[in-house]
Amino acid sequence: MTTQTTAPDAASTPATAPSGLIGIPPQIGRALATGGGILTVISTFLAWTWTSAFPGDLTVYGYPGGLQVLVLIGGALTTLFALASYGVKGLGWLVPAGADGAIKFAALATFATAWYTVIAISTNLGGVVNLEPGGYLVAIGSLAALLGALALPFEHPEADPIDPDDTSWEHFKHRAAHRWTTVKAAFASGTARPVGKLPSYVEILIIVAVLALGLFVFTYGIGTEYDELFIGFLLTAGFGFAALNKSGLIAQASQITARHQNITVCGAFVAAAAFPFTQTDDQYATLGVYILVFATVALGLNIVVGLAGLLDLGYVAFLGVGAYAAAMVSGSPSSPFHVHFPFWAAALVGAAASLVFGVLIGAPTLRLRGDYLAIVTLGFGEIFRITANNLDGTSGPDITNGSNGISSIPNLDILGFDFGAIHNILGFEIGRFANYFFLMLVITAVVVLVFRRSGDSRIGRAWVAIREDETAALAMGINGFRVKLIAFAVGASLAGLAGTVQAHVTYTVTPEQYLFAGPIPPNSAFLLAAVVLGGMGTIGGPLIGASLLFLIPNKLQFLGDYQLFAFGIALILLMRFRPEGLIPNRRRQLEFHEDAEAPTVLTKAGA
Amino acid sequence: MNELPQQLVNGLLLGSMYGLVAIGYTMVYGIVQLINFAHGEIFMTGAFGALTVYLYILPDGTSMMIALPLMLVGAVLVSVTIAVGAERFAYRPLRNAPRLAPLITAIGLSLALQQAVWAWYPNATSAIVFPQIEGGPFKIGSVTIQTGDIFLFIAAPISMAILGYFVMKTRTGRGMQATAQDPDTAKLMGVNTDRIIVIAFALGATFAAVGAVAYGLKYGQIDFKMGFLLGLKAFTAAVLGGIGNIYGAMIGGLVLGVAETLATAYIADIPGMDKFGSNAWADVWAFVLLILVLLFRPQGLLGERVADRA
Amino acid sequence: MTTDTTTQDTTPGAPATGETVLDARGVTMRFGGLTAVRNVDLTVNSGEIVGLIGPNGAGKTTFFNCLTGLYIPTEGEVRYKGTVLPPKSFKVTAAGVARTFQNIRLFANMTVLENVLVGRHTRTKEGFWSAVLRLPGFHKAEAASRARAMELLEFVGLADKAEHLARNLPYGEQRKLEIARALASDPGLLLLDEPTAGMNPQETRATEELVFAIRDMGIAILVIEHDMRFIFNLCDRVAVLVQGEKLVEGDSATVQGDERVVAAYLGEPFEGAPGAEEAAEVAAAEAETETPAVETPEAETSEAETSEVAADDTEAEAPEAEADDAETADAPAAAADTTTDTAPGKENDR
Repeated sequence: MTTQTTAPDAASTPATAPSGLIGIPPQIGRALATGGGILTVISTFLAWTWTSAFPGDLTVYGYPGGLQVLVLIGGALTTLFALASYGVKGLGWLVPAGADGAIKFAALATFATAWYTVIAISTNLGGVVNLEPGGYLVAIGSLAALLGALALPFEHPEADPIDPDDTSWEHFKHRAAHRWTTVKAAFASGTARPVGKLPSYVEILIIVAVLALGLFVFTYGIGTEYDELFIGFLLTAGFGFAALNKSGLIAQASQITARHQNITVCGAFVAAAAFPFTQTDDQYATLGVYILVFATVALGLNIVVGLAGLLDLGYVAFLGVGAYAAAMVSGSPSSPFHVHFPFWAAALVGAAASLVFGVLIGAPTLRLRGDYLAIVTLGFGEIFRITANNLDGTSGPDITNGSNGISSIPNLDILGFDFGAIHNILGFEIGRFANYFFLMLVITAVVVLVFRRSGDSRIGRAWVAIREDETAALAMGINGFRVKLIAFAVGASLAGLAGTVQAHVTYTVTPEQYLFAGPIPPNSAFLLAAVVLGGMGTIGGPLIGASLLFLIPNKLQFLGDYQLFAFGIALILLMRFRPEGLIPNRRRQLEFHEDAEAPTVLTKAGA
Repeated sequence: MNELPQQLVNGLLLGSMYGLVAIGYTMVYGIVQLINFAHGEIFMTGAFGALTVYLYILPDGTSMMIALPLMLVGAVLVSVTIAVGAERFAYRPLRNAPRLAPLITAIGLSLALQQAVWAWYPNATSAIVFPQIEGGPFKIGSVTIQTGDIFLFIAAPISMAILGYFVMKTRTGRGMQATAQDPDTAKLMGVNTDRIIVIAFALGATFAAVGAVAYGLKYGQIDFKMGFLLGLKAFTAAVLGGIGNIYGAMIGGLVLGVAETLATAYIADIPGMDKFGSNAWADVWAFVLLILVLLFRPQGLLGERVADRA
Repeated sequence: MTTDTTTQDTTPGAPATGETVLDARGVTMRFGGLTAVRNVDLTVNSGEIVGLIGPNGAGKTTFFNCLTGLYIPTEGEVRYKGTVLPPKSFKVTAAGVARTFQNIRLFANMTVLENVLVGRHTRTKEGFWSAVLRLPGFHKAEAASRARAMELLEFVGLADKAEHLARNLPYGEQRKLEIARALASDPGLLLLDEPTAGMNPQETRATEELVFAIRDMGIAILVIEHDMRFIFNLCDRVAVLVQGEKLVEGDSATVQGDERVVAAYLGEPFEGAPGAEEAAEVAAAEAETETPAVETPEAETSEAETSEVAADDTEAEAPEAEADDAETADAPAAAADTTTDTAPGKENDR
């Protein structure tokens, strides 16, 4: 197989016949993509390096390990999509929205993961000499697949005419913009054809399969043991998801899940509950429960930000209020109140305390423009921390034990079920963190329930209406202040509720857990980022956003000190290029990309 | 316990520093309705800019009389560069985006700036000593002005005078006011709004940089986190004065500074409040003041109630 | 000059005309030194379509905003079916006055159906707990809202687009949707702010039909328009607002025949107009002396006898008229006389 390295064709090719991004005839390109895919698959069964010094042991023939598995998945996906594009019988269902976009992304996923691995081997071990033939093979195969995929034809966008009077800098900008739209068009795909009505048991089976896949991906991500594997995982999962999205499978899956919403939601919880059973020790369950706390709070914030459009920059303080409240009535020796409430009472106390603070903060500010709320909540977050620090007996009354926090919070005991002990369920050992994982899952379920039900009701519509256009919403008879206050208070008390569990999970609550921004989630900035990254106004968005934002710093230890810096830059870039987040709400997506589709300009000024 | 005049002067000095930073918030907000959350960090980088000039550019042992103006230039240079860069590359592309987008960008920018200084500025992981003016405090009547406050004592009124002149007398200043009132009409009237916005950012950064040098001299040390709380306070000052009103920012700053100082000094005398008088509570009182103002006079001290354009 | 304002084309089913739905008296709105609306009186009776016209910047929309609680009038008061309207726009809607906006203000990223459901807000009760716990009655209320919303969409002809996003509707349909959304609050009075702006003649015709149909539902309508043909086809009574003051009020023929209206639109002083300076002085003097008086007597008297009795079209501007004003209230509906007194002060003192 000859891979001629064609120079990438300048994107300014006239938009006559549909052609690819690079100048290989489409037929050859398609063959190349298929062949490259197959070659990649084969190569994963070979050894890539000679020593097991590179993590994951890539030295074995016939048995892919570590990163090879990821490349194998990517290669298989590429091959399948490519074969489907030939119209191979029985594969057509894979590509309801057309194969080419999917092939491109799948090939990209394979290429990125494979080359990342090869480069990582070379740099880790010092030179390309450490590669075995399999390593070369996978590099060639995935490159061939990518080049082939890029040669697939697509509809070139029309270039806007250039104004000859512009400066050369503007010409440059103009060309760059056109090049970018061309690249975007190259990866575009059609819309998926709607799924026909299947027997409902088939649809439910599909949902189960989708959820199982989701659980598998999540578990795999949590369980990755070394940096390289996690990066490989991110590459494969990210581009792979994009490939599935372009193929139209995601759209079809969401159509099916939309038909059985309740089953999907229940199924998702069953899948989540199955997570501790997939883990052999409590270490990953620990990660699981922290992610869940983070995700739940993010989801609560999404009611406030995503639905009602209120920017709350001190949300973590409500988590803190709940946690402190629960800790103080937990019977901890460092609490000034020597009482020990049962959990349900502590949970109520926590939620109620947050509610009170929510109303205290919300009532004066929610009458005003939204920006004031942002700054007041930000101030509140900071003041909460300072106050908790001060109430230590020297700077102020002794309530919170100052910066040492309230420690030695006893484990929960609900109806005789000791959360601190290891239990044996169905032959699986379920440790402390797994116990709390289940409890937290219940709290998550409560938040999801509140989100779904309130979102799809009179009050939820009022929230969205306020977010969309407050003046018009008022003119529709909505008491804006009241409705916003409800959203704010609900958000606050849900965070407080989550806080009550968090206090028990972490043994200790200290003021420093509740910062505006810090390296460890949850903190207000990360919570907001989880909502924005995932997608505002959706349920899945914050959950995925929170998982990613928790796992990335946790898994990529090498980022270390630059983590927050990278996070800040990522926020800026995200707002610039994909403000609607990973899982766009259909509403939000439209709102953020106002340019093209709106038939009329909906101005917001001057009635 | 100090006597009242001394406390008032202390409060006014603290407040003029808040006011200097608040100008940046209020100007930008007045024109583009954006809370430039990163303004606190622009202030912070200004302090580091001044420090850089002193530590790495000037020869060791330069007299502060010579060094201070150069440090000021360094501070302004750094702050303005960052502010204008942020406007150009982070905020401008989002000008027509929903309200949330630029605010989140601002948060990201603020984090990134903080972390960049923390990670790459030598020894910035903890507080760094800021050079001090030689000489002792001087007295006016019974009131003592501390050495660290002398710069503030001189620079704040001068800055205010310059700002007042600029806004009232210059063409750009008037264009700025016009843009603040009605950006679309101002544009139609030939005001180059893009330019006005850049100027607002730059001007705000300039005053923040002056405030930053004052901060370094006043407290004797700077750190990468100094912008967060001070930014918050300065914003509070802007709201207090009536956001969008440039004089209001300064007045709000003074009021906030005085209120904070007096609260710290005298609140412990109130029966039952004896434990809340320490410095640790100053920020809390500032915040309580903000809430009270929003409750009873949301438009701020100088702000006019603006009718919502329906 | 007295003009008869009995409506000709009221359908038998509609409530008898004469019941005052909207009664605005002496509404004045100042922004700083600028008086956008000056001492405007206007009534709308049930079953009536009243038009409000005037050149750009005449203060029509400001007047509208005063009626709907978006602005609080500096002076004067607005009554809906006898009770003073509260100064909050959501309370005004709850009281029974719905409106549309000049620049369409739909909830662009909600579906068409959801937009109308938002309009149902004041007529439904289910709160947060009801939604979360799905209390008994939730599903029933939700279903009833949906049914009513679909009915309204059917009425304006958008039923087949219920699931579309509002922003994806073509312009004319967005206008219709805004009307449907306003109707969802079961108003007794509908305020339309330039409902045909930007429409082609066919669409305008369709809107006309729609407005008549709404009137036939028993809803009184006050409409602002620039399109004269539309207004004169539609309205039983037309008021002309110039420079913040009511210039003329009467039926189509009266208004069309009034040379001052023509002059106002063409921007020329008409014959016999008072000199600009004098007018300005008079106006200023009026503003100083008379306006405090507007509030006190009127507020009391009308509280006393604002039963549904009379279509008291109030006397206009002349300072002395204030006294009679209180008395005219008892006048029978038939004598709904509209004084189209000269308002001397068109050349405003700005």
